[in-house]
Amino acid sequence: MTITMHDTPVRDAGDTVGRLVLNGIQKAFGSAGSRVVAVDDFTLTVEPGEFVTFLGPSGCGKTTTLRMIAGFESPTAGSVSLDDEDMVSLTPDRRPMGMVFQSYALFPHMTVFENVAYGLKLKGLPTKQVKEEVGFALASMSLTNLANRAPNQLSGGQQQRVALARAMVVKPKVLLFDEPLSNLDAKLRAQMRLEIRRLQRRLGISSVYVTHDQDEAMSLSDRIVVMRSGRIEQVGAPDTIYRHPASVFVADFIGRANFLDVDEVRADASTGRASATVLGSRIIVDAHPNAVAGSDCVLLVRPESIRVRPFGDTEERIAGNHGRVLSAVFYGESVEYEIETEVGNIVAVVSDPTFTEIAPVGTIVGVSFAPERAWLLPAGD
Amino acid sequence: MRHDTATRVVAVAVVAILAVLIVIPVLTILSTSASREGLAVFASIFSSPVNRQIILNTVVLGTIVGVLGTAIGFLLAYVQVRMEFRGKRLLHLIALLPIVSPPFALATAVITLFGRSGLVTRDLLGITPNIYGLPGLTIVLSLSFFPAAYMNLLGMMRSLDPSLDEAASGLGASKWRVFRSITIPMLVPGFASSFLLLFVETIADLANPLVIGGDFTVLSSRAYIAITGEYDVASGAAYSVVLLLPAVLVFLIQRYWAGRKSVVAVTGKPAGRPDLITSQPARMLLLAPVTLFAGLIVLIYATVVVGGFVSILGVNNSLTLDHYAYVLSGIGSDAMVTTTTLALIATPLAGILGMAVAWLVVRKLRRGRSLMDFLGMLGLAVPGTVLGIGYALTFNTPRGVGDVVLIPALAGGGAVFGGVVAIVMVYVIRSSPSGQRAGVAALQQIDMAIDEASASLGASGLTTFRKITVPLVRPALFAGLTYAFARSMTTLSPIIFLTTPQTKIMTSQILSEVDAGRFGNAFAYCTILIVIVMGVIGILNLLIRERPVGRSADALAT
Repeated sequence: MTITMHDTPVRDAGDTVGRLVLNGIQKAFGSAGSRVVAVDDFTLTVEPGEFVTFLGPSGCGKTTTLRMIAGFESPTAGSVSLDDEDMVSLTPDRRPMGMVFQSYALFPHMTVFENVAYGLKLKGLPTKQVKEEVGFALASMSLTNLANRAPNQLSGGQQQRVALARAMVVKPKVLLFDEPLSNLDAKLRAQMRLEIRRLQRRLGISSVYVTHDQDEAMSLSDRIVVMRSGRIEQVGAPDTIYRHPASVFVADFIGRANFLDVDEVRADASTGRASATVLGSRIIVDAHPNAVAGSDCVLLVRPESIRVRPFGDTEERIAGNHGRVLSAVFYGESVEYEIETEVGNIVAVVSDPTFTEIAPVGTIVGVSFAPERAWLLPAGD
Repeated sequence: MRHDTATRVVAVAVVAILAVLIVIPVLTILSTSASREGLAVFASIFSSPVNRQIILNTVVLGTIVGVLGTAIGFLLAYVQVRMEFRGKRLLHLIALLPIVSPPFALATAVITLFGRSGLVTRDLLGITPNIYGLPGLTIVLSLSFFPAAYMNLLGMMRSLDPSLDEAASGLGASKWRVFRSITIPMLVPGFASSFLLLFVETIADLANPLVIGGDFTVLSSRAYIAITGEYDVASGAAYSVVLLLPAVLVFLIQRYWAGRKSVVAVTGKPAGRPDLITSQPARMLLLAPVTLFAGLIVLIYATVVVGGFVSILGVNNSLTLDHYAYVLSGIGSDAMVTTTTLALIATPLAGILGMAVAWLVVRKLRRGRSLMDFLGMLGLAVPGTVLGIGYALTFNTPRGVGDVVLIPALAGGGAVFGGVVAIVMVYVIRSSPSGQRAGVAALQQIDMAIDEASASLGASGLTTFRKITVPLVRPALFAGLTYAFARSMTTLSPIIFLTTPQTKIMTSQILSEVDAGRFGNAFAYCTILIVIVMGVIGILNLLIRERPVGRSADALAT
């Protein structure tokens, strides 16, 4: 799902501007009696030019963390530094960061041009240079012909592009995004995603992006930080998070998941693999280091990794690798089954099915998967 | 958010200014009233029958005017929102007329029209009623103060969601039943806050009790007599405190309780047009009193205008320009220029102060925000009479520590610049609450992220305030300030204690003309005053219209 772009970065590969280090930051609200810890023990390094996404359900502390980076909240413990310079003691306006807001936050009394020029004028750049740079920024976002419009004359997508241009034009060392696409419709969201990624790549600005939308996180990020109840649950590249989640929570939050009960787990710490019995077969699968023999484990198999093949009539008992079709929904590009098996109900997505291949409800089907597509991880939350 | 230095400086400056402008004068009144003579007045407040009567009078007057003014305001607002008829816009302007006119315009015209030898009463109806006292005060004060209730209820009714009425009709309720069971209950908080607002305005008023009160003494006129007639400062202060406490209390209830009880859902835009009243009998029933009432206001203001151009209206109706000659030359023109200048100086200062308080309250302070809000609004809550006496007590003599004079005498005969400083200060503290209220409302509409966006682009708190906040709230602020300017120009009760022989203020000049029975001069003064106020409001409105981008209120919400 990761999209690879082939734009040439503006900054050199060896460039080390924009290393953001968060060390053990914590944010607690309220007084001693009714203290609520919104973020705790958050440690992360964003490498120069890297695009990192904070992903999690609402209330997990992702926005609070972003606001601590921007300086709108101050951490109750821990440190924030950018290129070895302490940020916590600086007010937001002194931090070399740009921010894009969920509500766009365009200045309603200024034209598009004035909005984008605002930060440059504050820097005291000469008028000619301001004009040039704003013109360039507007052109790169295809906004040139809207320069003299007021923000309330623009569509949502256009407004967000202006907000993006306004944040980027001042060349911040770090760009912060607070759910910038959540007010747009699905189609526009996908388009803006590509645009943000392309621009960020080209400018090579380290970016931190907050979202609760897993598609957004997957398509944009170099690394995803999955958060839960104020803490980091897992950090990793999108494919690692998807294929090798550290917990049932992560597996469940990113994409859809089948968790199959397994028996007779035998883990081998040296190879990182384990053998287990599931759906009537003994298989060898990749395993999370915490999935050790004897402990409670489940096997993660994504719906698209399940193979379904027509087997027989409706009278047969379900056992071994056989299941009964409970529902079959045709989506055009795929069909989605819910199948009752010995080890519980399994969701399977079969892509590009022909009509003759679709198993009717109530029939018995064979259910299988390739062991290399499965991932053994500790059960429990 | 961390507080930058600028925010701290502003906060400290605002507190210091409010301390000088309102807190110290009020404290001075309290401490003066705590003297032996003052305490004697407190002791006699409920024991002496005279004082008991004064208190009773004050409460009765406040209650009657509160109820009547709210009723008038509701009727006019209801007609405005729920009916279509010719002259609707005109009716709206007529209803706002009392805001821009000085208090005596109404009182004097009412005496001329409905007094013992009134044009309507004696000449037309052949009766000679005694208008002085409660009847006259009721008429004049209701007419003077109902616009506040009208504006309050109009705003509320416009934001009522018509789909609620439609839902009730859909459930089978008749129109009358919808009115009774949906419209009225939704407006109860509006009624309560209008009543309380009018109650405070009424008991705080001094001008009308002096002109048309007759023997009907209220607390404000009693305090005035104590200071100016009996030279008994301590008793005057004591009566003021008795007036101050209920006024501030009612103000607090109005602002923090009635305001919060509102059930009107403000969704930005109403979901549709409200159901208009089309039944002919109902229309007649509503329009008849409204027309009559509008006619009365027009008649009264016509009297004011005409009265300035004839010798003695009703006695000698020959046209003359004598009154205008008197008013526009010498003392009159002096007062005109001084008053307008001082009000024009005070209005922007009040705007800046009110805006700074609003900014601190909405955006910056966490702890102490309600205290700051209260201190800022105190200038409106403290009755003008009390404020005037407080200023006289505080600023008539130089203030300092030991022999070092920190503040020279600002009010009274020996004051610097003929006492104009104190008058400007009064104008500022009376007007800044209007700016504050407008500022708070406008700021609450602006998404916090707009401020944060500015900060993240490198703007300090002060820069953001200057380049983002001020331009965005300017339309609301100007609207609040035009009201404040009108208020400064027409205010009397605090000014009456602060004018000096060198500094003539129009309202107090009008009072002395009325006192001397020279109604023609008073009418001429009033007309000129109204023209000045409307002229300045017109100019301010033109200034607001200049902004091309984001001038609509909708643009504030993101």
